[in-house]
Amino acid sequence: MTLSLLHLDPKPASSLPDDRATTFEAQQGPPIAEHRSGEQLLVEAYIFIWIIAIVFLGSMWMRQRAIGKRLGDLESALDRAAAKADAKDLKD
Amino acid sequence: MAPKRHAADFVFSLLLLASAVLYAATLHVVFFRAPIEKTMGIVQKIFYFHVPSGYSMYLGATACFIGSVGYLIRPNDLWDALGRAGAEVAVTFGTMLLVTGPLWAAKAWGYYWTWDPRLTTALLSVLIYVAYLVLRAFAGDGEGERRFAAALGIIGAANLPIIHFSVQKWGGQHPAVITGKGGGLHSPDMKLALGLGFAAFTVFVIALLWARTRLQMMQSRLARAEQDAVDLDLIQEDA
Repeated sequence: MTLSLLHLDPKPASSLPDDRATTFEAQQGPPIAEHRSGEQLLVEAYIFIWIIAIVFLGSMWMRQRAIGKRLGDLESALDRAAAKADAKDLKD
Repeated sequence: MAPKRHAADFVFSLLLLASAVLYAATLHVVFFRAPIEKTMGIVQKIFYFHVPSGYSMYLGATACFIGSVGYLIRPNDLWDALGRAGAEVAVTFGTMLLVTGPLWAAKAWGYYWTWDPRLTTALLSVLIYVAYLVLRAFAGDGEGERRFAAALGIIGAANLPIIHFSVQKWGGQHPAVITGKGGGLHSPDMKLALGLGFAAFTVFVIALLWARTRLQMMQSRLARAEQDAVDLDLIQEDA
């Protein structure tokens, strides 16, 4: 809005800094609409959806791997304990 | 036990496959068959994934509610795992809802966000489930923490009808397309796109809830087995 009014201003633009003094004021209410391409917003929305879905599936996969590792550690600990018990039985 | 596990894996794979086929069909109908909306233009096509995202958040929240109530009545790993899986699904799809909505609003309203009743209550709902997950991640996995989280899961569900009816009761800017009075989708292809979107999201949510619940139960069982192994001096505490 301000820009269009400046275009209609009959006075020539001044080269002096003081004549070009500008005030920044807080916007009252919702921000002024800015034109954004609908196609771009649509593509962004779909990209975000797939990123969120992939992050969720990726986190599930990582947790499953962590559980698999813990299970492997537990199994090897049990195997070691069983081997130790067998060795003790043979000794006795 | 092994054939049962294989059957479960098969059903899960089948659900994922069905979900992938439905998503592909939805994308095809959304981009190649559904017409461009008269006033909003192409950005309206966000709607076909935005609304099913919100519905999926409700499904996750409902699963969390069922798990929470079940856990408070009969505490066991299954109810607890269902509650946690539901909260994760609610946060995931709630995030999709909160990301896609503002992108549509940027074009339709001219700004990304406003403190409209539906937007505010949806954000509040997602934050409740984020709090649930933060609690479960950092407060330990004891009986008390599980009960507290279950209570939070019930409080989160109490907000769902408020989100749904906020448009009717408090007005605001958020459109109400799917209502009993007026609104709606005029083109059959628009209806088909939305229907397929709902079907794809439903199957995907069921697959995720199932997988996360099973994973969570496995984790709980493993934690107990590890504790037994520590008690029997088979492994070290920090292992």
